[in-house]
Amino acid sequence: MNRPATIRPLRASSFDVNSQFPVDIPETVIARARRGEIAAFEQIYRSFEHPAWTLALRLSGNREDAREIVHDAMLRLFERIRQFRGDAPFWGWVRQIVLNEALMRLRRERGRSFEEIADDSEILIEPCTAWQWTEARELDAALDALPALTRCVIWLYHVEGHTHQEIADLTGRSVSFSKSQLARGTARLRQRLDPVQRKSAAMPKHEVNA
Amino acid sequence: MNPHDDLGSALRALPLAQAPDDLWPRLAAALPPARRRKPLRAAWPAAIAAALLLALVWPRSPLSPPSPSVAETQVAPAPAPADELPALRDRSQDLERWLGVLARQSPQDARSLMAAAEIADLVGLVDAQLSVARDDQEAVPLWRQRVGLLEDLAAIRSLPVTALANQDAAIPDSIPL
Repeated sequence: MNRPATIRPLRASSFDVNSQFPVDIPETVIARARRGEIAAFEQIYRSFEHPAWTLALRLSGNREDAREIVHDAMLRLFERIRQFRGDAPFWGWVRQIVLNEALMRLRRERGRSFEEIADDSEILIEPCTAWQWTEARELDAALDALPALTRCVIWLYHVEGHTHQEIADLTGRSVSFSKSQLARGTARLRQRLDPVQRKSAAMPKHEVNA
Repeated sequence: MNPHDDLGSALRALPLAQAPDDLWPRLAAALPPARRRKPLRAAWPAAIAAALLLALVWPRSPLSPPSPSVAETQVAPAPAPADELPALRDRSQDLERWLGVLARQSPQDARSLMAAAEIADLVGLVDAQLSVARDDQEAVPLWRQRVGLLEDLAAIRSLPVTALANQDAAIPDSIPL
C-alpha cells in the first residue's frame, strides 16, 4: 500500500551528496530567527532561495507549482524553526522540508499517485555518450518531459544523493520500484537525447534496417 | 562506462534554476508581523492546568460510553476504522463549533494565546496529513489526533470562562453576612 509523504527524520546518508543545498548558516542567525526576527528569516531565505527553487522546479516540473512549494515550505520552516535541535546540518533540515512540501503537493495535485513510466515499457541499458555533449537546455527539456514520479526518482537519486531505500520511503513505494523508475527514466532520457537513437526513431523502419 | 554515473554528472552540472521573480515580498507578507513568542515550554503549564480544569467542567462526550464493567472491558472488540470515523468527524465538528463560541466570549492572556497558536499550528499539520491519507485506516489515527488537539485547544480557550464561573460561584470572605 502506498503511504502519504510526511515529514520524516533525516538520515546520515542524506548528507554525503552533491546536492546544491549545503550552505552554512551561522548559529547566530538561526538563534535570531528562532526569536522571530524577520531580517534573520530573510537571510535564511536568501541563502536557500536558489536550491529550494531548483528542487521544487525539478520535482514539480512547472513554475506555478514551484512557486507555491517554495512559499509553503519556507512558511513551514519559519513556523517550525524552534523545533530544529541542531543535531543535523541546518541545510539538510531545510531541504527535507522543501522536499516534503513538493511531494505532498504532487500527491495532492495529481491524485493519489503521481505518474510514472509503466513497468511493462521497454528498457535498454547501454553505454551512452549523450550526456557528454548534451546542452543544459536540452537536458532540462528532456527531464521536464518525464512523468513526475520518474523525474523525482532520478533527481533525488542523482542530485540529492538519496538511496533507493530513502526514495522508497519518501514516495511511499518499494525499493524495486525506485530502481526500476531510475532505469526506465534513464533509458527514456537517453532515447530523447542520443542523436543515433533520435535519428533511428525518426527514420522509417525499412531505412533503419537497410 | 556507467550510464547512471554519467547522467548523474550531467544533472549535477545543470545550473541552479532561478525564480522568475522575487518570492520574498509575498513570503514576508505572510509571516506574522512580529514574532515575539516565548518558548512553548513556558505555555505548557497553563495548557495542562486548563486541560485538568476542562476535565472537570466538560460535558460528557458523545464518544465516551458509560464506564464498562470489567467483564465488558475484556470482551469488547476494537471498533473498525470505518465505524469510528463518523464519530470522530462529528466530535471534531462539535469541538470546532464550541471553539467558535469560546472565541467570541473569552478574553485570553498572552501565555494562553501562545499555547493556542501552537496547537492550532499542529491541527494544520494534521489537516495536511489528512489531505493525503489514502484510506480510513490511515485517516482514523489522524482524526483521533485532531480531536485530541481540538480538546486541548478548547481546554486552553475555556480557561478564562471557567475562571470567571468559579469567581461567580464563590462568595468572597470580605463580604459581611
